[in-house]
Amino acid sequence: MKLSLRWLQRHVDLSGIEPKQILADLTMSTAEIEGLERFGEGLECLAVGHVRKREKHPDADKLSVCTVDLGPAAGAGAGGVLQIVCGAPNVAAGQRVVVIRPGDTLPAKGAKGALKIKVGKIRGVESHGMICSEAELGLSQEHDGILVLAPDTPIGARFVDVAPVLDWVFEIDNKSINHRPDLWGHYGFARELAAIYGRELAPIEAMVLPASGRRVEVRIEDRDACPRYCGLLIDGVQAGPSPDELRWQLAAVGQRAINLLVDLTNYVMLDLGQPMHAFDAGHIGAGPVVVRRARGGEKLTTLDGQARKLTAEDLLICCGERPDALAGVMGGQGTMVEAGTSSLFLESANFRAAVIRRTSMRLGLRTDASARFEKAQDPANAELAVHHFLRLLQRHCPGAVAAGPLSDPAGFRYVPEPITLRRARLALKLGLEIEDDRVAGILSSLQFGVQPTEQGFEVTVPSWRATKDIAIEDDLVEEVGRMFRYDNIPERPLHGTIAPPPRNDELFLVRRLLEVGCLEHGFSEVYNYSFVQGSVLAGCAAAEHRYVQVQNPVAPEQARIRRHVLPSLLASLPGNLRHSAEVRLCEHGKGYHPEMSDEHGLPHEVRELAFVWSRRQGPHPYGEIREALAAMLLRLGYPAEMARIWHGKDQPWVHPSRAVAIDRDGSPVGYVAHLHPGVARSMDLPATTAIACLDVRALLANGRQIARYVPVPTFPLLPVDVALLVDEATPVARVAEFLRTVGRKLVRDVQLFEVYRGERLAAGKKSLNFTVTLGAEDRTLTDEDEGKYLGKVREQAASIGGELRG
Amino acid sequence: MDTTAQRDKWLLAIAEAADAAALDALDTRLFGAKGEVLELVRSVTSLPKEQRPAFGKAANALKQEVEQALAGRREEFAHAALANELAATDFDATEPGPRHVRGRLHPITIVQNELVDLFTSMGFQWQDGPEVESEYFNFDALNIPADHPARESQDTFWLSDHNLLRTHTSPVQVRTMQRLSKHGFQPPLKVIVPGRCFRSETVDKSHEHTFYQMEGLVVDRVSSDGARGIGTANLIHTMKTCLRVILERDVQVRLRPGFFPFVEPGFELDVNCPFCGGKGCPVCKQSGWIEILPCGMVHPNVLRQGGIDPELHTGFAFGMGLQRVVMLRYGIDDIRQFMGGDQRFLQQFPEVPR
Repeated sequence: MKLSLRWLQRHVDLSGIEPKQILADLTMSTAEIEGLERFGEGLECLAVGHVRKREKHPDADKLSVCTVDLGPAAGAGAGGVLQIVCGAPNVAAGQRVVVIRPGDTLPAKGAKGALKIKVGKIRGVESHGMICSEAELGLSQEHDGILVLAPDTPIGARFVDVAPVLDWVFEIDNKSINHRPDLWGHYGFARELAAIYGRELAPIEAMVLPASGRRVEVRIEDRDACPRYCGLLIDGVQAGPSPDELRWQLAAVGQRAINLLVDLTNYVMLDLGQPMHAFDAGHIGAGPVVVRRARGGEKLTTLDGQARKLTAEDLLICCGERPDALAGVMGGQGTMVEAGTSSLFLESANFRAAVIRRTSMRLGLRTDASARFEKAQDPANAELAVHHFLRLLQRHCPGAVAAGPLSDPAGFRYVPEPITLRRARLALKLGLEIEDDRVAGILSSLQFGVQPTEQGFEVTVPSWRATKDIAIEDDLVEEVGRMFRYDNIPERPLHGTIAPPPRNDELFLVRRLLEVGCLEHGFSEVYNYSFVQGSVLAGCAAAEHRYVQVQNPVAPEQARIRRHVLPSLLASLPGNLRHSAEVRLCEHGKGYHPEMSDEHGLPHEVRELAFVWSRRQGPHPYGEIREALAAMLLRLGYPAEMARIWHGKDQPWVHPSRAVAIDRDGSPVGYVAHLHPGVARSMDLPATTAIACLDVRALLANGRQIARYVPVPTFPLLPVDVALLVDEATPVARVAEFLRTVGRKLVRDVQLFEVYRGERLAAGKKSLNFTVTLGAEDRTLTDEDEGKYLGKVREQAASIGGELRG
Repeated sequence: MDTTAQRDKWLLAIAEAADAAALDALDTRLFGAKGEVLELVRSVTSLPKEQRPAFGKAANALKQEVEQALAGRREEFAHAALANELAATDFDATEPGPRHVRGRLHPITIVQNELVDLFTSMGFQWQDGPEVESEYFNFDALNIPADHPARESQDTFWLSDHNLLRTHTSPVQVRTMQRLSKHGFQPPLKVIVPGRCFRSETVDKSHEHTFYQMEGLVVDRVSSDGARGIGTANLIHTMKTCLRVILERDVQVRLRPGFFPFVEPGFELDVNCPFCGGKGCPVCKQSGWIEILPCGMVHPNVLRQGGIDPELHTGFAFGMGLQRVVMLRYGIDDIRQFMGGDQRFLQQFPEVPR
């Protein structure tokens, strides 16, 4: 919303205060200001000229050659008499006009750049400057003719000195006044400024309306949706264009001028925040005006020419049976006052915020009126606005008179409920004590009623703050605090007993796993969206699974919430593999499973940590990722088994046979696997891609394992190399387990150091070469112990279908 | 007995030794099992008794002199060898070693961890909540009833059954309070909740539909006279401390009114612009200030929803935009990078929390 400083000054004297200061003070006490602009900037060079003579251009029918007098070469202007060629149809001898001289520059307007004026020849006639239209000055869209000033305007004066055009315009961030219905007009801000600077706010006074005469009957069928409806018939109006000053004032805040009556409704709305509608009285006829809910299927063509389909939620203003306006949003086509109207019916009503919001949102129709009603306007304002309108109308159109009393079937009587503001509560919430006088002064300056009590104050809230903004004591704390200014509150540290906060193991575990994974094992952490692309799911063969669905996604492709982190992490690979031959990535994220839900009806949530390791060529990184996972888990005190072949039903991207479960105490907490080669192909990834995933909550379930001390061996350990020939299908884990059990207590460690496959072996066989470390607590082991151990291995190797080599 | 000739011969040999190896050979010749010097010393036994003391003394002196000469010469060789070694040019100290694979934490994680460290050191607990949230926790419990304009301004992603993607981390406020008040609330409560939030926005250089917030909540008991407890003054101090640590500089902040339904009063906290130092620049839209932290005193209705009596307790809450802080800290100008998954971006932030 735009605020004009010139406009604000009609309500409160702001002389001596720099616009920048006003911006700063409003920001600190009231609302966020997004910008401050000079309106009319660059118009200072323009001068008032007198068209002495106008002759037709010898060579062009539509051009005139004018002799323009700029007065004596003293005072503000350079003076002199100029010959100017002018194309405007309305230029005439005797007019006072606005002239720009050669060498001066017209400011840029919107897309149009600045225009530097030069002496030029137009169809052979020299022109020394230009006579300007309003559009050229940026004062309106009017460009059909030049701007003609009042005949008594002093010749040679600076245009900005004789016309009220220069202004400062503040751009308010609308979001910051969503909760303040009173700030949707200039008067509300003037009230704030009067309070901030301790100056007088000019009251808006009621007019005396006739006690009898003509009035239109108003029937409100739904008092809840329409708490108040004021209507007034006004006769003797002329709907010509508004005077310059009014049009320029509206232009300064970005409002297009239409005609006096419409302009005045807009003016009152921008002043008091009360939207109004001026109906042609002829259109309303004998009435009655009925405020009712629309009937399902009913239609209305609004002012913008759109035919709107209505529902029973929408509120209508009807004349008799005929719908004439979408209440609080937009008038109907053909209801607006036109030039030539001499009598109007002025509507100034109050509508329930939620009703207007729903209609406006459903139709996608946001108007200045709906924006204001949505904020819950003050019903008292509806009547005040009528008086304000009538006074302004009579100023410009002295013949205008109220045809009769106000139609106001609902009326409005505001009975404020006092709110107690305790001194202690104020000190508590602000963290600072403020003297009573100061508190009372602040509240009174904002037009609250203040009554001192023993504990503090009894405060009555003015009607314009009572609709939604101020309801409880803490709301008053804000009023005092913001006017006192939060900046004046000194900072104070928290204090209390020293105790370590309860520790969230789950979050710390994730953090440490990421730190170890990234900083020790070379993974780079990425963040992916929770939305997973359909194409990625298709690539992962998971498109048919159930997903939590977004009803209003940013794009149809992003309507699904991921169940697992891995598919999106896989999708991060191709781009990175273009720049590097090997990529390791990890991601922490949540997966959602709609088939299960918690006590709040929320889908089951899984916290995952996923890893991918991909290289364009070379050995498969499966072994490396597996060892990395093992090392990470060991490092954090969650050592796990990876010895059980795993088949992920919910993870079709896992290789069907080349995968192990990560088990803790026999329950799976994750997996390590080859990427499924089919998925690798469809996602354009190398077959040499390894994946791993941890379910963090499952990992935590079996607790952390703290290392236990075992005495450092007194007697030396005996490493024994064992090579076992086994079938390809025999897993290493099983052979290692065999080597461990065969040696019973003597076996301290079993480490695979080589897998040999080659011509020297029979087809379908592999040789697993281990170092088995033997040791005893009470003696030094000898060759005899080694021989015994190998003998047992040889004897029992058949139990795993193996054979001791060498 | 005159030993001068031998002395001269030996010393000359030592002086003329070509290298350390020659010196070692000479050492053996003179001091080995049948070394010339030792032989000379031993020859004392063949002398008449009365000559022995004098000869012995002279011989030992000679032995010492030769030993010293040897040691001196050895030292010379060692020096020369070291000098030689040092003068070698076959090494390039600027040559890098074998490649170390460097992994990285995401920059948001780095900053988040640093904030977690800071706040946990001040006694805050680190909490988390679901990203798929109910309408109740995201809105109703936070004093944002249906038809409240604040709902619309949050551009919610709706799911089915009145569920949604949380639009802020604030739902965890009420979740935490409810959990703690179930068995009688034991103040103080100090919690931070960093996490992922969602608002339906078109993504561009400065807008993201997926963003990271860090919620903070402090609730404590009110003193018996009702005038002391958690107040705005505490909020200012806590926020200033936080910004000072995370931006690694002394900061100026200003607190101005801001409206959020779940706080009363509500504030916007601005920090002086790090790019221009407060003079005004395009980043701060010439104001000298950057809006960084919406915050406020917890609304009584929110405390009530959490099962906490607002007459006996007060608190403050804040919601810091993490991306904003990360961008300010590293000078990142494109918010899309965070969710882009490009290692060329992610590899740029090597440090871990202090």
